[in-house]
Amino acid sequence: MATNPMHQFKVHQIGPQIKIAGIDFSFTNASLFMLLSAITICIILSLGTREKKIIPSKWQFISETIYNFIAKMISDTAGSKAKPYFPFIFTLFMFVLFCNMLGMLPYSFTVTSHIIVTLIMALFIFIAVTVIGFMKHGFGYLKLFVPSGVPMVLLPLITIIEIISYLSRPVSLSVRLFANMMAGHTMMKVFGGFVISLGILGGWLPLGFSVALTGLEILVAFLQAYVFAILTCIYLNDALNLHH
Amino acid sequence: MADDNQNDFKTRLKIAKSKLKKTTDNDNSTFIGNAFKLGTELVASVGVGTIIGFILDSWFDTKPWFIIVFFFLGSVAGIMNVIKAANRMQEKD
Repeated sequence: MATNPMHQFKVHQIGPQIKIAGIDFSFTNASLFMLLSAITICIILSLGTREKKIIPSKWQFISETIYNFIAKMISDTAGSKAKPYFPFIFTLFMFVLFCNMLGMLPYSFTVTSHIIVTLIMALFIFIAVTVIGFMKHGFGYLKLFVPSGVPMVLLPLITIIEIISYLSRPVSLSVRLFANMMAGHTMMKVFGGFVISLGILGGWLPLGFSVALTGLEILVAFLQAYVFAILTCIYLNDALNLHH
Repeated sequence: MADDNQNDFKTRLKIAKSKLKKTTDNDNSTFIGNAFKLGTELVASVGVGTIIGFILDSWFDTKPWFIIVFFFLGSVAGIMNVIKAANRMQEKD
């Protein structure tokens, strides 16, 4: 069972089973790691904002770097109108980043390798962006599906295609994060299993691969959080500044 | 002496600033991030198109026509998404 590469993705409950109206609300290892990443974020940011020095301490430097990184990303991709949404995107980025990074620790659980987690986040973003778009532009937001400069004959076809591509947003957003995390962790486990089964003679090559993959996975963990946040900004940009 | 120190500081500041510019110019992470984005962009639209076709088929009992049509529409949407994303990347440069 320990060599099964999919075993690491198993959700099991911790403590007693809690059932409210027939729905299972038990505390699981997934909830534990979500909670852990939230706590870690709170600790790092409160350490960073405790003292405000001109020459920053390490913690202050870390939090200021992340803050600037997200602030620049939002102003670059969505413009100044997106400033009110900074807290949401910052929270989203930090949560995904820390879930990914905590998943890199041995014996830990990667929350973002479950599609239900990423799909809920993506659907929330999708619905929120749609609501914001309709609030800002009214029914003019539907112009997003009708690009200008298209001949009348092709218009119905293009509109259907635009609607499909709009509906594919939450799917691509969630599948990207989930698939990258799950594939990476499975691959690491498979190579780890090779080290055991090939023993001291042949195990060195997969061991080397494992080390290289760990580095790659840390890069992917950061990049996927970044891509998740930047795509949210791009969708927000479409809703706030209607160009079509 | 003080003047000397100031000049020294100014040149050092200049060097530090030019170094800073260099590091921001070749920001690799955004490029790799963009590359990761394109693959799923293509697949997701095809999937969504096919699912819409499947649902319409079971509503109107017209198997398999809607699923065929929407599979191709989904593919078109996927390719258009990739082109849009690539254009956006080029604008940024």
